[in-house]
Amino acid sequence: MPEITLSIDGVSVTVSEGALVIDAARSAGIDIPHYCYHPALGNPGVCRLCMVEVEGLPKLQVSCRLKAKEGMVVRTNSSAARRAQSSSLEFHLVNHPLDCPVCDQAGECLLQDTYQRCGLYSSTVREDKRHKPKRVKIGERIVFDSERCILCTRCVRFLDEVTKTRELGVFGRGDREEVELCPGRRVDNPYSGNIVDICPVGALTDADFRFQVRVWYLAGTASVCPGCARGCSIFVHSNVQRPWHAGGRRVVRLKPRFNPEVNGYWICDEGRYGCKSIDSPSRLKAPSLLKDGKVGAISWEDATKLVSAELAELCRAKGPQGLAVILSGTLSNEDLFAAKRLFIERLKAGHVLLRPGPDQLGEEDGLLRRKEKVPNLRGAQALGFGTAIRESSWEKILAGLTSGEIWGLYVVDRDPLAVWGAEAGEALLGLPFTLHQAANANRFTRAARWVLPSTSYAEEDATFTNFQGRTQRARKAVAPLGEARPDWRIFGGLLAALGAEFPYGSARSVFEALAGERSDLVGLDFELAPDGEPR
Amino acid sequence: MTPAMIGISWSFVKIFAALNFGMGLAAFLSWVERKQSALLQDRIGANRADILGARALGLFHILADPIKLLFKEDFVPPQGQRLWHDLAPALSLGCSALCLAALPFGDAVVLGGKTWSLQPLPMGAGVVFVLAMLSVGVHGVVMAGWSSASAYSLLGGLRGAAQMISYEVAMLSILAGPLFLYGTLDLSEAVQAQARTFWSFFPAWGIFLQPAAFILFLIAGAAETKRAPFDIPEGEAEIVGYFVEYSGMKFAMFMTNDFIETIVLAGLSTALFLGGWHLPGLGRLGLSQPVFALAGVGVFAAKMIAVLWLLMQVRWTLPRLRYDQLLALGWKNLLPLSLANFAATAWIVWWSRAG
Amino acid sequence: MIAEPDGIAKVRIVKAPEMGFLERIYLVEVLKGLLVTSRHFFINLWRHMKKALGRETEPGAVTIQYPEDPAVVARRSRTHHRLLRREDGAPRCAACMLCETICPAKCIRIVAEESPDVMIEKRAKSFEIDLGRCVFCGFCVEACPVDAIRMDTGRVEMAAFWRTDMARDITQLLGERPRQ
Repeated sequence: MPEITLSIDGVSVTVSEGALVIDAARSAGIDIPHYCYHPALGNPGVCRLCMVEVEGLPKLQVSCRLKAKEGMVVRTNSSAARRAQSSSLEFHLVNHPLDCPVCDQAGECLLQDTYQRCGLYSSTVREDKRHKPKRVKIGERIVFDSERCILCTRCVRFLDEVTKTRELGVFGRGDREEVELCPGRRVDNPYSGNIVDICPVGALTDADFRFQVRVWYLAGTASVCPGCARGCSIFVHSNVQRPWHAGGRRVVRLKPRFNPEVNGYWICDEGRYGCKSIDSPSRLKAPSLLKDGKVGAISWEDATKLVSAELAELCRAKGPQGLAVILSGTLSNEDLFAAKRLFIERLKAGHVLLRPGPDQLGEEDGLLRRKEKVPNLRGAQALGFGTAIRESSWEKILAGLTSGEIWGLYVVDRDPLAVWGAEAGEALLGLPFTLHQAANANRFTRAARWVLPSTSYAEEDATFTNFQGRTQRARKAVAPLGEARPDWRIFGGLLAALGAEFPYGSARSVFEALAGERSDLVGLDFELAPDGEPR
Repeated sequence: MTPAMIGISWSFVKIFAALNFGMGLAAFLSWVERKQSALLQDRIGANRADILGARALGLFHILADPIKLLFKEDFVPPQGQRLWHDLAPALSLGCSALCLAALPFGDAVVLGGKTWSLQPLPMGAGVVFVLAMLSVGVHGVVMAGWSSASAYSLLGGLRGAAQMISYEVAMLSILAGPLFLYGTLDLSEAVQAQARTFWSFFPAWGIFLQPAAFILFLIAGAAETKRAPFDIPEGEAEIVGYFVEYSGMKFAMFMTNDFIETIVLAGLSTALFLGGWHLPGLGRLGLSQPVFALAGVGVFAAKMIAVLWLLMQVRWTLPRLRYDQLLALGWKNLLPLSLANFAATAWIVWWSRAG
Repeated sequence: MIAEPDGIAKVRIVKAPEMGFLERIYLVEVLKGLLVTSRHFFINLWRHMKKALGRETEPGAVTIQYPEDPAVVARRSRTHHRLLRREDGAPRCAACMLCETICPAKCIRIVAEESPDVMIEKRAKSFEIDLGRCVFCGFCVEACPVDAIRMDTGRVEMAAFWRTDMARDITQLLGERPRQ
């Protein structure tokens, strides 16, 4: 595409032909205030805030609808442009309730930002504000406040253009104009949370996040969603300074992180609310051992020593063929590397299963969601799971259990009882060795003799390889809960106790060792920040 | 009753009375200390202890303090030596309490044809006895410092010993002047020596005959008894003293010792410089001898209390000296000045007799 | 030291005044000091005695007999917090967390909840001030956008046997009265 050059505020900017002036300005680092414009949505030019002065044109222009032309001279900062922006803002605020103290958007609100930048006037409006419906639940997770709405129509356009579900519309005229649900509809589509993200004001709020914690308490950590094989780029928003908020949850919400290659600007609701497992009461906090019908806590040192001794003894006595290992695609590349060393190379387990079963398969659509609800299936395949390493199957393992051929079951992050049904629990009872290694408890935890707590994805540094083969970095946002340890460290501890080499002290060093086995990782830097910014 | 038994009983009565007088006055001084400092600092002072709501100007603190101190733990540091730790305050207090016995509280009473001395321990070398007892008291200080097994206590004790010994030297040479004038070491006789008046109204007290010696004596005495501004050995706030490891009643004994020494100092100044039980004009009232002698006791006590007031006032007026200043004052100023005073006195006496 | 406009400091050396002979022997100065303290002693003694005799007199001491006499606190001084109510009696606090945010001692803990009244929307479920940590800076009062918190109770006592007793919860804070 041919390139053109124009001048914005005296800065010469080169963009491809057909680009909008607002995008050209942004690429030059000049932010033009705007509400209705969103790069991923059509631009109706309704908010009239992005007015700029263009040399040669008699009137101010809306920069989100103005295509850049060769030699164009744009001024975003002239007094006329400033006055126009300021006046538009005053119109937006005529009926806005200005209830920032109770509004959840305060702190990340474009109205506040713009007022700080080009407002700072005293209101000249003498009339009473028009009251509209407040706190309307327009969907399972969305709460709508019509008074705060500035009618930018971003949400309407998102539902029209991206999800194509069209639940919302603009109704009425003048100061009675309102965004409303179309008759008989509710915003319950699997991507509904995004309209909260794109709402520039506090009109749309997240029922789950509402009043939980003020946004300025939150720390954002760039990470990757573990909800499905897509691995959307996300920000993990955590609050550790003031633990009394959000009912003690440290990870309070997830927000999409712009990544044009993977997820664009969006994430699905399933991934968005997946963060609740991180601080759920079902989290496992310390290693434990079921002995004489009683669960007793045990130190990591003892647990590692005893588990490895048991495994070694049983493998020697009954043969490694009887050890079944059920791994999960939720494990990171580093975890799988250590798991491979332990179960395949050292113990030579007879049954290894990683494939998502009915417990890890779900809905898929053409937008973001993938069928496999695990983030690292491609990473496992790249290490040889399911290819060089022959996988067993749920049926075979269950048959082995009932026939007594299998003496041990090492389960990581999964619930076999969810696949086999609760009645299979009896087959587990007489088993000499059962171990559950997971972040959250499930039905199998109660049946297992050994329980080892592992960290959740927000508590460790790790890499995941998504369905495109793209390896992305998840970052530690909060400290591990209780005594939980990363899976690779647990495997590494067992390896060391079994007398094998595992000289890695950090996820980074494991990753670097892993790059020796996986050609697709060669040249990648563990620390390199993935690009993308919030919008 | 044999005369010997009467004499012994009378001695017991006198010693008992002197000891009670000293102890009572010491307890009272703890109240005076608080109230006087409060008055001169525009405060009210301790007034919270009450009995059934009555506060009596805070006098009940005299009761409250020992009650509290009695019930406190008698703590000996784990590495400390209990015997010496216990003995130290007893030695200190005992020595200064003995000094009380040497004070001439009044003239001898003639009753029933017999002479009853009002001095609990009449002796020819009273001044030397008092100074000796005060010297023995140094051992208590060192003992307390050593047996506490604390570097702070030990240093405090050694500081205290050095200070007391230094000022003892000065004290003796200061007293040499007046004693030379009186020509005796007996305190009663020293008082009698001041009975004269000039021009029949101006008393021939030591303070007028030996003004320099009086001032030097007060300074040296305050230093000897470790009173402010010379209370460095115990300097609670900044330099931690020898009884930092003491608590409860043993601590109280050190405090009482402090007051008793002050009383002894006041008594000594009264006897040697303020004319003891003499008051010009008292003789003209025509009182019978016993009443006159007892009135003398009142005069003696009043003079003592005046000196105590002055010592308290000095204490709450002046800031504490630095340790080097303290020793310099003792050795470089007080000692030469007192020797000069003694020389001048000797010369004047020789000159007046020769003339 | 006086800073000059061009940034060069001008230094003036002040010598300690030399002591004269009388000052150096210290005796006269001690007497002067004794005179000062004695004057106070006798004047105060006189006033106390006069008062004891029921006469009108200036006070002999500046001491305030604290538990009996009220502590004299300046009207503008910042004292214990109180939370204010709306006209209908509901707490004014909107649980906006601005005071919690600004608090340098982190002694304020607010937990928010939905208000049944849609026009109020958000309210404090719990509001706790730990006076044991509070530095009485008054930032919370400054920060409050709805004038829900003030430090005008005139109360300054906060002794307690347990640290937990130094915390004030929302009912205690709402129950406080402004000073009379």
